[in-house]
Formats: sequence, C-alpha cells, structure tokens
Amino acid sequence: MVPGEVRRLKVWFVALLGGLLIAVAIALNIGWIVVNWRTGLLLLVGIVSFSVLIVGLCFNTAFLIREIGRTERHNAFIHAVTHELKTPLASIRLYLQTLRQRDVDPVRQQEFIETMLTDVARLQSTIDQVLLTGKTGRARRVVNPIDVNLSEVIGECVTVAGQRHHFVNDEVQVVDLLPPGENAIVLGDREEIQAAITNLIDNAIKYSGERVKVAVELVKLGARRVAINVKDQGMGITRQELKRIFRRFYRIPDTLSARVRGTGLGLSIVRAVARRHGGRAYAESEGSGKGSRFTLELPLKSS
Amino acid sequence: MKRLLVVEDEEHLANGLKFNLEAEGYRVDVEETGEAALHRLTHGSHGIDLVLLDVMLPGLDGFEVVRRLRAAGSFVPVVILTARGHNEDVLLGFEHGADDYLTKPFDLSILLARIQGLLRRKNWFEKDSNEESQPPEEYRFGGRRIDFGRQVLERGGVEQPLTLMEMTLLRHLIQREGQDVPRKALLEEVWGVRHDTDTRTVDNFISRLRHAIEDEPSNPQYLQTVRGVGYRFVADPTTEE
Repeated sequence: MVPGEVRRLKVWFVALLGGLLIAVAIALNIGWIVVNWRTGLLLLVGIVSFSVLIVGLCFNTAFLIREIGRTERHNAFIHAVTHELKTPLASIRLYLQTLRQRDVDPVRQQEFIETMLTDVARLQSTIDQVLLTGKTGRARRVVNPIDVNLSEVIGECVTVAGQRHHFVNDEVQVVDLLPPGENAIVLGDREEIQAAITNLIDNAIKYSGERVKVAVELVKLGARRVAINVKDQGMGITRQELKRIFRRFYRIPDTLSARVRGTGLGLSIVRAVARRHGGRAYAESEGSGKGSRFTLELPLKSS
Repeated sequence: MKRLLVVEDEEHLANGLKFNLEAEGYRVDVEETGEAALHRLTHGSHGIDLVLLDVMLPGLDGFEVVRRLRAAGSFVPVVILTARGHNEDVLLGFEHGADDYLTKPFDLSILLARIQGLLRRKNWFEKDSNEESQPPEEYRFGGRRIDFGRQVLERGGVEQPLTLMEMTLLRHLIQREGQDVPRKALLEEVWGVRHDTDTRTVDNFISRLRHAIEDEPSNPQYLQTVRGVGYRFVADPTTEE
C-alpha cells in the first residue's frame, strides 16, 4: 500500500472513531433527556456537561488528525534529509574509491572531480538548510541587524545560481523595477536574506523542468516596503497547495513534484526569514502547469 | 557477458556504478524510474542477470518494484541499494523479495563482491538446469519436489517459484539434513560474512519458506526451529522421536 493511502486510511479511521463517539454521546444524552425531562436543573447541568464533552471530543479528533499529518511530514522529512545527506556522500565515496582502485584517464579524472565537487556543494546546501532552520526557529527578531542592499544580494544570488546550474543564456534574469537612482536598503541579517532569495531561485529552477525561464524582480511597494518577486514558467501550484508549501517539512505529494529532490525546509526558511524581518512571504499561481510567482516582502529601512 | 540493470535516479551515482561495473566486464543498462524498470523486467525477454535497485525513486519506490516483480513471476536476483539502513527497512526489503541489501554510502569492493556472489549462485542453478547430460538437480521430500534448476517448488501438482536466496537457503539446510544449523552460520555461509545484517533476516526467509513448504506454517514439520540455536531441516518428520 502506498504511503498516501496509508495516511488517508489513518485519517479516515480517526475521523470515523471521533464521529462514532460523538454520535454515541448524542444518543445517550437524548435518551437521558427523554427519561428525565422533568428534572430541570439536572437537565441544565446535563446539557452543559454534554456540550463540554462534545467540544472536547471534537477538539480531540481534530488534534489527532493534525498530529497524524505532522508525524507523516516529520517522517518524510527524516527520509528526505537522510537521502539528501547519504546520496552525495555515497557518490563521493564511490568516485574516490574508483580513483584509488582503477586506472582512470586524466580527462575522466577531471570529470570525476567535478562530479564530487557538485556533490560536496549539495551536501553543504543540505547542512546549511538544516542549520538555518534551527537559527531562524529560535528567535522572532534579527539580532544585530545591518544595512542590506537588496540589489547587490539579488545579483550575487543570481550569479551563484547560474554557476551552480551551468547556465549560459540568462535563464535567470534580474528585473530592477526600482525608481531610477534609488536603492532598496533593508535592515536585517544579510546571510538570512541571501539564503531566502537563493531558496526561491533554486525552487523556481528545480520546478521549471527542462525549460528554465526565471525572472527575479525587485519592486518598491509604496514608500515603506519592497518586494522581491521570483517568477517561473514551470509546473505551477494548485490553489490548495499555495499555503501548505510554506509549512516546515511539507512537500507537494504528487508524482511530478516527487521527482524534484529536497528536504521540505526551503520555503519554511523563506517564511521564517520574512517574519524575522517584519515582512511576509507568499506564493501565487494560476494553477498546475501555469508557472508560479513567489514574493518576499520586506520593510525598507526608514530614512 | 553478464548484463546488469542499475535502477537509480541520481545521475552521479548511476554513472559511477556504470563505470565501475563496466570496468569489471559487465554490460550495464540504467533506468531512472521504478515504472521503467518494472516494464522492462516484466515485458518479454529482458536478458538481465541482476538488478541493482534504489529504494527512494520518484513514483514507484524500490520496495514496490521488487514486490511487483516477484508477483509477476520474475525471480531475477535483486540487490537493494539505499540510504535507508534501519533494520525495519532491511527486513522490509527482504520481505518484498529482495535477495540482498546494501546501505549507502557503500564500499565499492563489498558491492562488487555481493554482485559476484549472487551471480555465482545464479550460475550454479542455471548450470544444473542447462547441462543436458546431467538431469536438473531435484530433491523430493514429503510429497514435495524441489527443482533447483528451475527454481520451483512443486507441491500437490502446483508449482511455486522461489527466489534465488530462498533456494540457496533451502539447499543449504537440505545438505545438512537433520543437523542443527545456527542462525549466525546461515548468515555467514548463505549470505556471506556480514556484520550489518540482523539475524532476523534469516527468520524472515525461513518464514517465507515455511509458507511455501509446510502444511501449517505455524506448526512446522520440515523446517524446525531449534530454540536458542537456529534451524533444522527434517525430510521425514515421522521418523523423529
């Protein structure tokens, strides 16, 4: 049985159990009222107790359903992180043992070294994501904020993404929509903002499939806020998933998305970084197959 | 030349495995998804001698692939190669019909040795069934017939296929008929020396064999448990005291 079916069965089981208990409680109470309708005061006490019982049962059922979902997401996260840590490690070990045990021609040797460096970068990215999740989850506000120039940070993120994915044709473009001569300065943690923008760009690339066309816009929203919009023309997101994707450990369960590797931490980091800077993060999409737009909105430094 | 199928969606690992296996003299094909591998192994003559199967594949996972493969009557040896190394995962792999299990990151020499071991066993069985001068090796007990060459057990006129490792384990116990064989010895001699496998692996295979052989798997007559030691095969339980 596939994990999705197991989860659905569990949720149905708990919901059914909760429903049955509520039905039994209602039946008992109605029976009691029919038998003892004359005893007014006791009836009142009974109704109150009954209401408390029903509300408690409803809460309990809702809580159980939520916990099942949380445990499922947690297990999926453990599996994803295990995979994201062990797979590049296995690859590096395999190539190192190959180089030690076999006669490999110099061209191939160079190829193997490049492969290993890519795997090291992947390993580092996973470790950074986990550490950043810990950091952003600890405090609500950024400690010791500094001036961060968003145009500079976006430029760096786009360059790094281009190098990492070996792009040559401006697959990721910066669109600066700030009024001429103006800068977008935010008071915050440069490393965190960079990580958030990198996550948005990486996601846009990963979910674009073969044809990558990503635009990173920097636009002023009134006098006090600035938005970084990352737009792609990839597989898009359904309406139901738009909010869920920012939850920690959440990954879209359909087969197409499952082909994209990840830990389920990226967007939760983006949201945490936005909140720690007094901003917000959200996603928009016309639907499946119609691309997406992710926005990181931050308050500008007051002059 | 032996032909192997690597089912792995991680390009780097698949390329590294292909390079090493080809250097060892195997012909190697790669599939990226479980669906593609299953289609290839269950449709027509695939000519694959052994499958290296990743578990965390997009779509159909490796456990499901091996389960469906066995259900479709394909008994090609399967080595599961995965990042999931908990005992429960290993046991789940064997339960679904895998012949061997290796966790990532793995040692190249051990992987090659395991592949060689499985192919060697496969060779023994095939040799038995291919040599015309020598009839396929058979063993009969209690109205059952085991055809080691075709990897089938016949019981009451019904043939049931067995996996390579089930066959190897059964043959090992039959060769020691009436003797107590410890679990550790079975692990070492049937699977090769390994410190990473729980002895429950043996119990799991015995349980599968009992379901195939015994009238009442919960009250085994042929594959008996020797408490605190291991197992014993008894061809004729009626002669036992």
